[in-house]
Amino acid sequence: MDSEIYIDNNSFVHRLDPRVKITIFLLTFVAILLFQDPLWMLPITVLVVIQIIISQAYINLGRIRYVLIVLTISSMVLWNLFSTGETQLFWRLSVESMQFAIARTLLMVLMISAGMVLITSTRNEELVNGMIELGMPYRVGFAISTALRLVPTIASSAVTISQAQRSRGLDLDSGNLFERIKKFLPLLVPVFISTIRSTNIFGMALESKGFGAREKRTYYLVFHMEKADYVVLVFYIIFVAVSVYFALMGFGKIDGLIRF
Amino acid sequence: MTESVVSVNKLQYRYRGQKGYALDGIDLDIASGEFLMLMGPSEAGKSTLAATINGLIPHFHVGKMAGDVIVMERNTRDFTVAKMAEIVGMVFQDFEAQLFSTNVELEVAFGPENFAVDREEIKRRIDENLNYVGLEASRNRPPSTLSGGQKQKLAIASVLALKPKVLVMDEPTTDLDPISKSGVFEITHRLCKREDLTLMMVEHETEEALYADRIALIKDGNLIKVGPTREILSDVETLESIGVMPLGIPKFFKSVGHKDLPLTIEEGLETFSDAGLEISEDKYQQIISDENADIAKNTEPLIKVENLTHVYKGDVHALNGVTMQINKGDMVAIIGQNGSGKTTLAKHFNGLLMPTEGDVEVNGLPTSEQGVFKLGQTVGYVFQNPDHQIFSEKVFDEVAFSPRLRGFSEEEVEICVAEALEAVGLTGQDQEDPFTLTKSGRQRVAVASILASNPDVLILDEPTTGLDYSEQRSMMNMVRKLNENGSTIIFITHHMWVVAEYAKRSFVMKDGNIILEGSTREIFAQNEVLLDAFLRPPHFVELSNQLGYTFLTPEEMLSCLKGAQD
Repeated sequence: MDSEIYIDNNSFVHRLDPRVKITIFLLTFVAILLFQDPLWMLPITVLVVIQIIISQAYINLGRIRYVLIVLTISSMVLWNLFSTGETQLFWRLSVESMQFAIARTLLMVLMISAGMVLITSTRNEELVNGMIELGMPYRVGFAISTALRLVPTIASSAVTISQAQRSRGLDLDSGNLFERIKKFLPLLVPVFISTIRSTNIFGMALESKGFGAREKRTYYLVFHMEKADYVVLVFYIIFVAVSVYFALMGFGKIDGLIRF
Repeated sequence: MTESVVSVNKLQYRYRGQKGYALDGIDLDIASGEFLMLMGPSEAGKSTLAATINGLIPHFHVGKMAGDVIVMERNTRDFTVAKMAEIVGMVFQDFEAQLFSTNVELEVAFGPENFAVDREEIKRRIDENLNYVGLEASRNRPPSTLSGGQKQKLAIASVLALKPKVLVMDEPTTDLDPISKSGVFEITHRLCKREDLTLMMVEHETEEALYADRIALIKDGNLIKVGPTREILSDVETLESIGVMPLGIPKFFKSVGHKDLPLTIEEGLETFSDAGLEISEDKYQQIISDENADIAKNTEPLIKVENLTHVYKGDVHALNGVTMQINKGDMVAIIGQNGSGKTTLAKHFNGLLMPTEGDVEVNGLPTSEQGVFKLGQTVGYVFQNPDHQIFSEKVFDEVAFSPRLRGFSEEEVEICVAEALEAVGLTGQDQEDPFTLTKSGRQRVAVASILASNPDVLILDEPTTGLDYSEQRSMMNMVRKLNENGSTIIFITHHMWVVAEYAKRSFVMKDGNIILEGSTREIFAQNEVLLDAFLRPPHFVELSNQLGYTFLTPEEMLSCLKGAQD
């Protein structure tokens, strides 16, 4: 089924220890949040892009391209409206607000991309077990993995449901925005109901296999840190440490930016 | 062997918000190593009873329970479901929802992990159980890439990994195609030979009940009859009266007037010759010529498929050059395994899919020139799961959805809805909430909602899946009536007896090709070709084949016996 998020291609990113991947993911967030100036965000952008290419996460990003496009446009508009600067560009826009809008948009897209790299290259169980080894309670980890697991299930039932309703004469491609939104009701209700039904069975199956029967549980998956894991980890820590140093030194700010 | 492993005492259960008891005074003992089959109509309490064995009732479902269920000295009231999991395993009908891992091995490991079994032992159990169900080659695959049957096998392996003493299976094969069904049943046949495992199975397939030690019949929350398999299966009347499909072979011999009823094909052949029964050749030929005349009446082509190939994105060849024709007034079945191309083919008829190569014409016009919206008025498509389309709060609005979209006036809509509801037997229920109806009721609403826009052709994708025997019969009788009133019917099904009794013509598909087509009788006469497509006619039809004739129902054979009245 092609609605799966995890892409099983055993790339370099895939082979990394999940704990390292989760750490990289968090460090990436730190690095993204440090600077206001998009130019200073370039190094981390390059790193994320490299990961996207190696892990083939672009396949998944392609699937959500409409969401990304909408987010990009609305973010560019909003941050330009809510900030201004000294150097007039044209109309009401300034160079500073433009820079800032680009940086904020980049921030959002990078965060989504980093998350996508993580779930494209890490199996659900690896992700959860990795989080648990990093200190998260088992039940919280399991809840996250369950949420991720629901995505392909919902996607595939949505395809069937939209075919069923189209057979009944539902035409999703015409009408104005409000009419179209109204037309989604015949899709949403069955998606919602079938999801509830299947999660109910999921819950029963979970308990029937002894979920939470003992205080302690064993983990069949065990991770080993390889040389590559250490190299990547050390590289990232140094990278982020250097970034933090520059940020503390006051680099990467946009001079003359006025935020409302 | 006599000590009981499961003992159910004076069990009553009522779901919250329901007035009636789902279980109303059940007393049942299951002996160690026994294989008990639980059969009954929909809403009889089968799944409810199954859910009490591992404590899902009373712990998971909210309701009121009286009486006790004791499994190996554990009263389910005092143990959580998770704690019961060590001794009672549970396999559910829905094979998608009960798997949660992204990898076959990890799915099997999940149970033992919860009980803190050490890694080496988990590994051993993974090997053992994947081997047992025949999935060792797929051990590193994600379960989502497995077929339905493989998923169900994996669910069984993952439960067996806990080494339960009791295994409860709640309709494990209902949603599967015939080949997957037989794969799962093959596992249960091995399981029931194991002395250390007690098996309780809820199942609609009466032919499978032959493997059970005992059968319990349940209706309206009461056990109607519990007894050895032979005794229950010979009681054709009770089975029919509570809505469980009786086997064709004992049914036939009962109507001939036999006392000791044969159950299997071999027994049937023996009894047939011992009793000196003979088939009248004249009467048989008469049936065939009547049937051919009936089919020959329909000559006006409605759907023409010419060399149709469909390739899904990537390079999945779902159809490889299919040529077929469906005439006005036909009632045809399309059969074959999942993945053989049945649904892909049918979705071309109403334009949901367009040919990669070749042509599909409906009413003389290529589907590509008509589109889904326009074709929908000629070709109605009822999807398999009614819950994938029902969204309204009232039956009326649900059925009126399609006519309204097609611009009918409100008066016309009312007439259409009334007619459609009458056709499916739901007159007077137009103000009800469809979600409160039973599965068969919802299935009828789905059919009505398609009928409401008056299509010439009705495609039904597995209209009988998930319904019990009497619901299946009344659904198909309704469909047959639509056909008699002029609708052309195409149905896809995995139920061979439905094909035998209701389809005039059939198409057998395998690997994207039609490998066999003709009158249903001609199809079922070709046992070997069917087996090649992993299909098997009902036992009764197979018996008649071995006698040198092909009878589709016991009634037909009865009418052709020498000396029988016309």
